[in-house]
Amino acid sequence: MESDTRRIALGLRHKDVAVLEILVGRYQHRLVRYLVSLLGRRDGVDDLVQETWLRILERGGSYDEHSRFEPWLFRVARNLALDAVRKQRMFSLDSDVEDGVRSLPASNKPSPYALAARTQDAERLAHSMQTLEPVYREALVLRFQEDLSLQEISMIVGAPVSTVASRIYRGLAMLRTQLEVETA
Amino acid sequence: MILERHESFQRMIDESLAGAISADKEQSLREHLATCALCKEYLGASNRVIASLNGFSFEVNPNLNANVLAALRQQTRQPSRRRILLRHHVPLRVLAAFAGALSMSITGSVIVYQVAKLLTVPMHFDTAQVQAGVAVFWLLPSLCAALCLFAAPGENRGIA
Repeated sequence: MESDTRRIALGLRHKDVAVLEILVGRYQHRLVRYLVSLLGRRDGVDDLVQETWLRILERGGSYDEHSRFEPWLFRVARNLALDAVRKQRMFSLDSDVEDGVRSLPASNKPSPYALAARTQDAERLAHSMQTLEPVYREALVLRFQEDLSLQEISMIVGAPVSTVASRIYRGLAMLRTQLEVETA
Repeated sequence: MILERHESFQRMIDESLAGAISADKEQSLREHLATCALCKEYLGASNRVIASLNGFSFEVNPNLNANVLAALRQQTRQPSRRRILLRHHVPLRVLAAFAGALSMSITGSVIVYQVAKLLTVPMHFDTAQVQAGVAVFWLLPSLCAALCLFAAPGENRGIA
């Protein structure tokens, strides 16, 4: 792992396009998945992906080779996504859940989760994923799809580890209940 | 009481899935799961949710990679803002040399002026003559000398 991250850090420091090409190939799919989970929509995700890679190129020198690349990539993407959301003033991802983070308003278009469901259980959960508070959805995706540790997620979202853990418990509980209801 | 016990183990299941459980607790959870159908069911339901999360597959726009790489290549071809500044504007070394020379000249001139003022009475000079003398014989030559020194390449001023 260490030599891989060192190679990445070196490539980024020298703005080596060949290294970036490998990184794009390796992480593009995961970056798209993370941004969709963060925003709850597909619109604008491609632009954010491109912006993220350009930011990675620009700030590559600040990547620390002693940590994994994914958390840093997701953190950069998250900051850009939040900036974009703030500009659009559609909804706030960072609001306290108790204050009521608003999910996207209902729309006639099929949700990205409905379109992306490949299994029966995923189909059952598509609506819940779409309506789940973004902070819970983000925590679940980072933990169970991206396989990141609590510390890494905490670094990405800028919240204490205990907060991240509690978001995972609550998100899991909501989806568990929903899946049980849908199956019954 | 029994329900509370199950709740505490179910909490441990959540902690285990989130990666927030200690080795001791993990061991005690494993032992409990071997004998408790209710908690095993809870674990099964949680694992089902996690498996469902992996049942979502987002298609990536087929042109996205090519677009991103084209943008990255274009960006690397463009010289950075700093490089543009250095190419089209005054080099930083000259700016630093100018600032250093100016501050040294002003400091030296102030000292020379103070010394010259003390000599105005015994030498029968007036203040205007002292000011002109300091400007012509000290300020201008020292400024020029300092500028030449700072702007010269490193090896000419003894820097390897």
